[in-house]
Amino acid sequence: MKISLNWLNDYIDLKDISLNEIIDKLTYAGLEVEGVDEQAKRFENIVVGLVKESKKHPNADKLSLCKVNDGKEEYSVVCGAPNVAAGQKVVFAKVGSIIPSIGMKLEKAKIRGEASVGMICSGFELGINDDKDGVLVLDSSMIEGKPIADALEMNDVVFDIAITPNRADALSHIGIARDLSALFNRPLKYPQFTLNESARKSEELASVEIVDVESCPRYVGKVVLDVQVKDSPDWLKKKLKRIGLRPINNVVDVTNFVLYEVGQPLHAFDLDNLNGKKIVVKSAGSNKKFVTLDSKERNLFTDDLMICDGQKPVAIAGVMGGENSEVVATTKNILIESAFFNPSSIRKTAKHLGLSSDASYRFERGTDPNITKWSAQRAAYLIQLTAGGEIAQGEIDVYPKPIAQKSCKLRLARISKILGYDIPINDVKKILIQLGFVIIEKLESELIVTVPSYRPDIEREIDLIEEVARIYGYNKIPEVNKVSVTLEEKVDQSNFVDRVRSLLTSLGFYEIITNSLLSEEVARKFGNPITVLNPQSSEMSHLRPSLLPGMLTTISNNLKVNEKDLQLFEIGNVFNKISDGKIESFNDFSELEQLLIAISGNSVRSEWYGKDRPFDIYDMKGLIGSFVEKLLPDITLQTNFEKNSTRFLDYSFNLVYQEQVLGNGGKLNEETCSLFDLNQDVYLYQFDLSVLKKIEMPKKSFNELLKFPKIYRDLALVLDNSINSNHVVEVIKEVSSNLLHNIKLFDIFQSESLGKDKKSLAFQLEYFDQNRTLTEEVVEKDFKKAIKVVIAKLKAQVRGG
Amino acid sequence: MLKKINETRKNFDNDLSKVSDLAALEELRIKYLSRRGLVSQFFDLLKDVSKEDKPKFGQALNQLKIHTQTKFDKLKEKLEQGAKISETYIDLTLPGRTRPLGSKHILIQTLDEIKNIFKGLGFSVYEGPELESDYNNFEALNFVPDHPARDMQDTFFITEKFLLRTHTSPVQIRLMKDKKPPLRAIMPGKVYRNEAISAKSYCLFHQVEGLYVDTDVTFAELKGTLVAFAKQFYGQNVLYRFRTSFFPFTEPSAEMDVWWEPKGKEGRWLEVLGCGMVDPNVLINVGIDPEKYTGYAFGMGIERTTMLKYGIDDIRILFDNDKRFLMQF
Repeated sequence: MKISLNWLNDYIDLKDISLNEIIDKLTYAGLEVEGVDEQAKRFENIVVGLVKESKKHPNADKLSLCKVNDGKEEYSVVCGAPNVAAGQKVVFAKVGSIIPSIGMKLEKAKIRGEASVGMICSGFELGINDDKDGVLVLDSSMIEGKPIADALEMNDVVFDIAITPNRADALSHIGIARDLSALFNRPLKYPQFTLNESARKSEELASVEIVDVESCPRYVGKVVLDVQVKDSPDWLKKKLKRIGLRPINNVVDVTNFVLYEVGQPLHAFDLDNLNGKKIVVKSAGSNKKFVTLDSKERNLFTDDLMICDGQKPVAIAGVMGGENSEVVATTKNILIESAFFNPSSIRKTAKHLGLSSDASYRFERGTDPNITKWSAQRAAYLIQLTAGGEIAQGEIDVYPKPIAQKSCKLRLARISKILGYDIPINDVKKILIQLGFVIIEKLESELIVTVPSYRPDIEREIDLIEEVARIYGYNKIPEVNKVSVTLEEKVDQSNFVDRVRSLLTSLGFYEIITNSLLSEEVARKFGNPITVLNPQSSEMSHLRPSLLPGMLTTISNNLKVNEKDLQLFEIGNVFNKISDGKIESFNDFSELEQLLIAISGNSVRSEWYGKDRPFDIYDMKGLIGSFVEKLLPDITLQTNFEKNSTRFLDYSFNLVYQEQVLGNGGKLNEETCSLFDLNQDVYLYQFDLSVLKKIEMPKKSFNELLKFPKIYRDLALVLDNSINSNHVVEVIKEVSSNLLHNIKLFDIFQSESLGKDKKSLAFQLEYFDQNRTLTEEVVEKDFKKAIKVVIAKLKAQVRGG
Repeated sequence: MLKKINETRKNFDNDLSKVSDLAALEELRIKYLSRRGLVSQFFDLLKDVSKEDKPKFGQALNQLKIHTQTKFDKLKEKLEQGAKISETYIDLTLPGRTRPLGSKHILIQTLDEIKNIFKGLGFSVYEGPELESDYNNFEALNFVPDHPARDMQDTFFITEKFLLRTHTSPVQIRLMKDKKPPLRAIMPGKVYRNEAISAKSYCLFHQVEGLYVDTDVTFAELKGTLVAFAKQFYGQNVLYRFRTSFFPFTEPSAEMDVWWEPKGKEGRWLEVLGCGMVDPNVLINVGIDPEKYTGYAFGMGIERTTMLKYGIDDIRILFDNDKRFLMQF
């Protein structure tokens, strides 16, 4: 909200306080100053100048050669305006100034051979009106040399203040001034005025009926007759313009002025357009459409609160007036509306209409029911001041159930319990009083105060404590320099996932984080996704049911920038509907933490010491193996191999523990590759971390180091292609003694010399005994058994050794 | 016999040095390392050695076996690769054989840093779901229905009653319902805001929530704790300030700013976290007596801090996952 410093000075005297101090205090107290516009800065080096002499330029018909005095020195200035003349007081921009309307920095110049040091400005160039035809001639009483910002009163400072939603009371100049009065311990001056009312009574000229008292607890109407609608006087226009409002006409401008002065939204109706000279406040009912004064047709809900006349709606209560009753140039008689509406009623209407106005913004935060009458009077006074006319006597004030005044207890001990610091009692009292609270009872250990009606946010003791603390100053509350650490059980629920991250990064993986929101088309391919009710776009309308699309998009994007060798993982939550109906409880959907690992491109890049080698499924097996071995030590997992196992994979393998599948992955199939525009192989592996986390890990124990030598035997076999290597290992293990500890496949090849559909597998068998040195004979016996069994069971040929 | 073993070793080394192709290497293997080779023959002799001498000879033989096998393997590998350079040729300026490590996402690295600081201050770490109930995300946190405070956080709704959490604060509710005070925990995680994606904002970001509830928790302690954090995280000389703010679930509420002055640029106050004393209504909602217990809570975003720290000016790059970006951290 824009707040003018000059305007604030109408209610509190801040003239001797520095700008920075004001900004700091406001900001510390919760009225954050987000921007400061110092008007005078736009007019630096622009002063009142006296034209001492003006004669024709020797080399140009339309130019004049002037001597301008700035109170100290005389400058030669070439001027193109026809109206410039000696003796005038003018706006003189000195060298180095920036011409406000065009933003150009003024430099010394030579114009048609004559030096020009400075410039005499038009109203347009100064940026204050549209007059381009001649220089702006100032009042002759102005003193040369005076900064133009001061001379023309363009020295205001406008703050842009962020008002938090609880501070309904601060949405006006008086509201801000009230905080400042507490912050700087200075009196707050309410505007004083005397109404000049006629004998005719408002009550006899119009009537008000509230049907929906719940939504409109109070409605004040005041009539002003025979006004002359026209442009506002300069002082009013200037005030509104400074805070960014566009002046419209004197009547409308006055209502806006009062809104920004005290925070009460007002509306002015053309009384002659009100059927029956009557206001009825009721819900929209069967009225479905309404044209607001911005000429837009609005669709109404049955519950929307409307201001109606004897016949039809004339305004959407608290949001915007109607075109059918707005004040126009020909308007003579006016009804000023100054009401208090129920905040949540206004908010519902403004929300569904998607229409936020200065009025609805304040009403939905809560206005002051007790300022309504004063505001109507203030507006009537200012309308008469600017538009003439006759103020009808009194107000129509319909207030069937007055809102009770709140009171609140404040225990002094509670202040220190919350803050950890004792604020002196006198400060507490002073702050509360300056903010408008009234201390009705002072006991030894507590105060009882009434809450002013402009503070809907204050209801409880804790609210008072915050008020006291924020005005006293958070920065005056000391920081403790030691804390006690309680010794309750310490938990780190992120521990397991952190280990996953560490293991994967040590294996060379980079972590990615992708968007959890996907398009419906993509999301549907990968699960049973959950729809977002109000998405930003159709590209982000569904929650991801899987990490796959994010990963594949990432790979695809990397390939586009020529980053082809990728080792990536993502840890994130995925969401799936469990039932097809509407989500009504946490049981209707699943949210699981998953891990997705991907490799693509080259495992080894070509270097001087070796050629490149692309990733394949064995890389994935090996990486997963190393990962799982460290993550789940001493747990034996089963692995199953499948072809065409899922819709996305050509072939895959899973890891099973106690009949629960922990992970699954393999090679991405062609179809999915082309879906994501991937032109190289991708291998993926996915773990359900929610499941993995829950596995009870056996206690890790130390294995005694071997004290005796190992003996190795190599066994090279020629086998049918159909026999897989794991089968060979199993067959050998079956017949071997417990001295055989390990069988390692170290060579594999196929060639025509071996025969069709044949392959050669070479294994190294590792024998040892924990308790003694093995002899060759013992090993030989075992080894022979192995040879025999592979020949017998697998029809293997043993190759010479 | 020891002498013989040593001799064999020398002969092997000598023979090995003359090997220049795979055929010669195979000859060497048959001579020394095959099942009837010289090394194996020694093992056969072992059974005739006296019991006392056995360990000594056994050890020597094993060493011989390892020595010959290792040298053989090495040479074999080199010959197979068609060894491009000889062993005597050393150019230390050649690039080394790299084994690249990966890295955690930069946001996670920042999160880790924050987590570690608070763990050191006695905080536990808890997590909660991203798809939350309106009750946990708003109502229990003292957001009154139909109050403009709800507009502070643009929300992605799933249904009327479910939404993507807009902050990590609902984890506070879950924790306080689940456990009894004293409670001291941080709660990191992803949160969502229904905002258009731009250089300044993304539809999701990461937050760390903090909560401490006990019998004597004060605003002064909140300040002390956060200052201790800021000094560790931003540096001992960090300039900071606390100013009044508004969150429905804390009162008094504050925001903490730190002074940020990038090199060669004008400094400014930068909001880094929101905090305050847990509102009594929140404590009542989770069944904790606000007369007996008080608490503080705070929350901070990870993205902005990370971006400042590394001079990143477009939030979207954090979620683009371009490898050239990932590799920098």
